[in-house]
Amino acid sequence: MDKPRVAFFDFASCEGCQLQVINLEEDLLQVVGAVEVVSFREAMKGHSDDYDIAFVEGSITRHSDEERLEGIRRCAKVLVALGSCAALGGINCLKNFHDQEYVKKLVYGDKALLYETYPARPLKAVVPVDFEIPGCPINRNEFAMVVKAFLLGKKPEIPNFPVCVECKMAENICVFEKGMTCMGPVTRAGCGACCVTEGSFCWGCRGLVDDPNADSQRDVLATHGLSVQDVLGKFRLYTGFSEVAK
Amino acid sequence: MKLRLIEKSDLDLFVQNLINDYQVDGVKRKEGSFLYGSIKSPEELCLDFDCTVIPPKKYFLPPEETLFQFTSSPALQVTPVMESNPFILFGVHPYDIKAINQMDRIFARGVPDPHYLKRREAALIIGVDPTKVAPRSFWADMGAATVSEGFDLMLTDIGESFIVEIGSNKGRSLLEQHAKPRPATRNEARERVGIRSRISHICKKRGFAFPKREIPTLLEHSWKKFFWEEQASKCLSCGTCNLVCPTCYCFDVQDNIDLDLVHGERVRRWDGCLLHDFAKVATGENFRETRASRYRHRFYRKGLYLFRLLDDMACVGCGRCASACLPDIADPVNLFNKLREDEK
Repeated sequence: MDKPRVAFFDFASCEGCQLQVINLEEDLLQVVGAVEVVSFREAMKGHSDDYDIAFVEGSITRHSDEERLEGIRRCAKVLVALGSCAALGGINCLKNFHDQEYVKKLVYGDKALLYETYPARPLKAVVPVDFEIPGCPINRNEFAMVVKAFLLGKKPEIPNFPVCVECKMAENICVFEKGMTCMGPVTRAGCGACCVTEGSFCWGCRGLVDDPNADSQRDVLATHGLSVQDVLGKFRLYTGFSEVAK
Repeated sequence: MKLRLIEKSDLDLFVQNLINDYQVDGVKRKEGSFLYGSIKSPEELCLDFDCTVIPPKKYFLPPEETLFQFTSSPALQVTPVMESNPFILFGVHPYDIKAINQMDRIFARGVPDPHYLKRREAALIIGVDPTKVAPRSFWADMGAATVSEGFDLMLTDIGESFIVEIGSNKGRSLLEQHAKPRPATRNEARERVGIRSRISHICKKRGFAFPKREIPTLLEHSWKKFFWEEQASKCLSCGTCNLVCPTCYCFDVQDNIDLDLVHGERVRRWDGCLLHDFAKVATGENFRETRASRYRHRFYRKGLYLFRLLDDMACVGCGRCASACLPDIADPVNLFNKLREDEK
């Protein structure tokens, strides 16, 4: 079997997810050995439009993005949304809750007129997406797992349980016990509860599990002292797009 | 029963001697809570804890473990991975020992589980009677205030010294070789009885308002109740109640393959029946898709299915689920008392 040809692309993002791929270090060499990377602007020169799998980072924020993404979709047999901006809309969607002229001026000042922009959205709002690897940034081991699954012809398995599971497995003391609040109870695991393990709380970067009990999570947050606005903010940070989409 | 006694001033020496010869794990403080971990010096060991966040089951059924390694080509080769380094678990409360005793039966029946049993055989358990009761504990009502088996040594703090009960020959030689025990006097033995009854009395403030042997029958009549939907409406399906439970032992098994697609390992990790995909099968069908059905299942497991198997509830009253559940709907005391009220 020929090695699958792989290409990386990015839209509105910090390119941190592609950096995580490069950060695979030793495993990166194995990945590069198992697939043929034909396009990866952050890591190599050269480019080809002949590829099987496209990993696409970033959210779509303007009409011209749509054309480019549609082009990628036409070329790719498999299109993977890489990271929360691509998979969920991510933090770029925070601007959707403000007046678009106001945010344009805030960012571009008196040059605002020169820039095209519209409310941010995930890839799936524009083209069909075959698979999503959420995370801000992605978990590089999960990326390697997805590549392996593709090589085996298997469907990759991203956890559909909340971060609480990984916190218990890591024996973290519950964030709520420590007087903070946390999005872990409704957030998709797969990160190894890294933020809580390092002393912070879960920000919800991997998006919600398939059937989140958002009402109960809101109650829990409110019981722990958050205002309605704060609770909304917690949910909006990464999953604001789905809030509007509903 | 012959009881021994060691002076508190000699305890550190005992612990240090054990550390010199064995891997010793015990309870340590972390951020105001208690966790089991590796003990490198006697000062680290905490014996006056109320309850740990995660039960000692992690020593026998780790959160994640490799069952075997495989090579798929040219021919399939499978190498089992068995861990059995001897270690001492110092400071296990009777309710957790009761839970381990239940797990021992579960993992030995049917096709015995060698991974669990090897670890279990490698462990020496030094129990300790609680001196404090966690706010949600109800182990006294669950008949888990004391245990008669499942430990190698059992310590009771009687003030200036510890009474030591010997539970096995291994425990006896461990004590004789590593500590300076003397026989306990009759008065000292009586003190242990008094101390145990005082702490049990404190713990009995929480418990079932009816005899627990009625729980299976209560559940048999409660399957179709709206009660479950009502309770479960707040359930986050986070699995925390399962994962912190000393008698929950469900796991998921998966293969991790290397990038060469030839080498790999089969691992199992903790799973929980409250999690959404727990009863999901290959076709995509999910036999317990609703929160209420998963929530109900957990209590049927504890109070009916496993009751039939163990002739006792698969709950030892540690109260970990109750204190860890954010919406506070996991407490067996609250639940069974409400269910019973509902029946009237």
